[in-house]
Amino acid sequence: MLFVQLLLGGVQNGALYALTAAGFALIFGATKVFHVAHGSAFTLAGYVFLYGWTQAWNPVLASLAAVTVAVAFGVGMERLVYRPIQRHEGSFFTVFVAAFGVSIVVQNLVGVVAGRGFASIDTPLSNASEVLPELFLADVFWVAIVVALVMFVALTLFLSRTNAGVALRALAQNPDLLRAYGLSSSRLSMLAFALGSALVAPAAILTAMTTGLNEAVGNHVMLLSMASTIVGGVGSLRGAALAGLLLGVAESVVLVFLETQWASAASFLVLFGFILFRPSGMFGAAVAR
Amino acid sequence: MLEFSRRALLGSALAAPFIRGAAAQEGPYILGSVFPQSGPNAEYGGVFTAGVQLAIQHMEADRLVKRPLRYISEDSQALPQQGVIAMTKLVNIDKAHWTFSAFTAVSKAVAPIGDRAKTVMINGGAVGPDLSGLSPYFWNVIPLAHLETRALLPYLVGQGKKRFALVYVDDPLGDAILKELGEQLPKVGAELVGSFSIPRDAQQFGPVAARVRQVRPDAVYIASFGAQQSQIIKGLRNNGVSQQLCSYSAMNLASVGSLPEAEGLTFTVQQVDYAGGDALTRRFAEDFRRAHGKEPTVYNANYYNGCRLFGLLAAELEKTNTPVNGDSLKETLHRVKKFPLVGGIGEFDAQGNMMAAIEVVQWKGGQLVKLA
Repeated sequence: MLFVQLLLGGVQNGALYALTAAGFALIFGATKVFHVAHGSAFTLAGYVFLYGWTQAWNPVLASLAAVTVAVAFGVGMERLVYRPIQRHEGSFFTVFVAAFGVSIVVQNLVGVVAGRGFASIDTPLSNASEVLPELFLADVFWVAIVVALVMFVALTLFLSRTNAGVALRALAQNPDLLRAYGLSSSRLSMLAFALGSALVAPAAILTAMTTGLNEAVGNHVMLLSMASTIVGGVGSLRGAALAGLLLGVAESVVLVFLETQWASAASFLVLFGFILFRPSGMFGAAVAR
Repeated sequence: MLEFSRRALLGSALAAPFIRGAAAQEGPYILGSVFPQSGPNAEYGGVFTAGVQLAIQHMEADRLVKRPLRYISEDSQALPQQGVIAMTKLVNIDKAHWTFSAFTAVSKAVAPIGDRAKTVMINGGAVGPDLSGLSPYFWNVIPLAHLETRALLPYLVGQGKKRFALVYVDDPLGDAILKELGEQLPKVGAELVGSFSIPRDAQQFGPVAARVRQVRPDAVYIASFGAQQSQIIKGLRNNGVSQQLCSYSAMNLASVGSLPEAEGLTFTVQQVDYAGGDALTRRFAEDFRRAHGKEPTVYNANYYNGCRLFGLLAAELEKTNTPVNGDSLKETLHRVKKFPLVGGIGEFDAQGNMMAAIEVVQWKGGQLVKLA
């Protein structure tokens, strides 16, 4: 039963990792911007929802506020940080350092405004009960699964059935051709940042309910998002989501065989495994040089 | 009767305002801290700093020392590497007379630097037992973990808790608590049925809870700190661990007390009577409440004491015009031994550890309730 317990716990965490990883992969795939500040969108969304919760807002309103702030942050980064840099020289390293700097600023601002330390949402959704002997599940498990599924189905439909979605995929594959057709890559980049950042909001809200928040929580999220993008295959949204799920399950199930201190390391063992034996990731295409 | 000429009196009167100024011309006493001001343990940095700042405020108001005081705060992020950088700056560039450290791993990392520079380091937050005697210049104004566990375990065993599980952070503090529980539990008729090490950056504790449930403990001891300890509490409680939770003084944080899952958490702290204590303790508590709008914690008191101790030692040295440095401060500490501090008379042993009474407390409705 321990295995089943750990597997289900891993699926719950993996669903949240999948959402954040898919957001990062969407942004990176479409714009080629290594958005290190993606974790900051997560932090901001979580704290905005937490603020709404403590102010007794309607949870739907608080959720919308969290999504809005995450989207505004993502779009703001694209407009005010990445685009000016890319207009001048746009080297990968400059973009990386700028994003990293912003994430540190956000971390400290959150600490100053919301207080340094642990904060969480007290809800019965996260209280597990014994559904079978030795098997504990909380309602938030089902919420996480359903939310992740709904978000992925909606995103898939958007990317495959709408003009904007198809254009976004085209941007990822050939931005020059896209411009030749008269489409605005600038607007599409903004859309990629908006959608990618929106994806972190549900994960941040559910994290606030389960493991809680602190101003540095985005760092962990960012690491997992990057690992998932590599494991899933750079440029593959589906791959990143599946890899997020896989990493979540791996860091939980590994405790059947190993001591608890190896939980986090398991994710990165999976990452190293892919880098060594399948560098293109689960769904990435091999590139011949 | 002594007679003074008018000229002498006038001269003295004119010189009087500059007597203190002359001392001040020697430059201020530099007090430096190596506390986490960012990252998941930043809450502690704020708590520790508040204690130091209030002590400085009181020392200046009382004119306890002749020279002005200058406080420099460096951010350790509760990481040894950052701590070493911060401490190196404090002793080599700022030429600090007195420093404060916190966190076991950080304290152990910075101690050799302070030791080489003969700069006193005061710890009021870390509790790793091996912090005792770390350096002749490293002093503890907090009871270390071995004293805390020896107070807590007999109480819990008396409550019928015989099987203990330990969830501990993989660092010197966690290792020290593991060793301590392994040695002490059999002595009080209990056993350590499971120990679960976690990395410092771990955030998911659902899987750990599943492993903890498996060993069927009566009580679960948590040896961690900062945001992580709250995450552990929430993670265990939300995932079916309903047994008694217990820990050490790191749980004496507002963010832990306000956590619904921390209800009933039992731990140890130093005994300080803010309401009925001596005048110094009452003044500390009243001014702290006025400044921060909340009750002080033991950490506030510890770093207040750590800072005040400098004032008392420096004042003693100033009386005999002895230079204030690491060696003279150390010599004075060992000579005087007892100092009026918040919580009563603080007495230091030969290794620079302040002895203090310990009590067992519990979070109940967001308030600390004394159990024993």
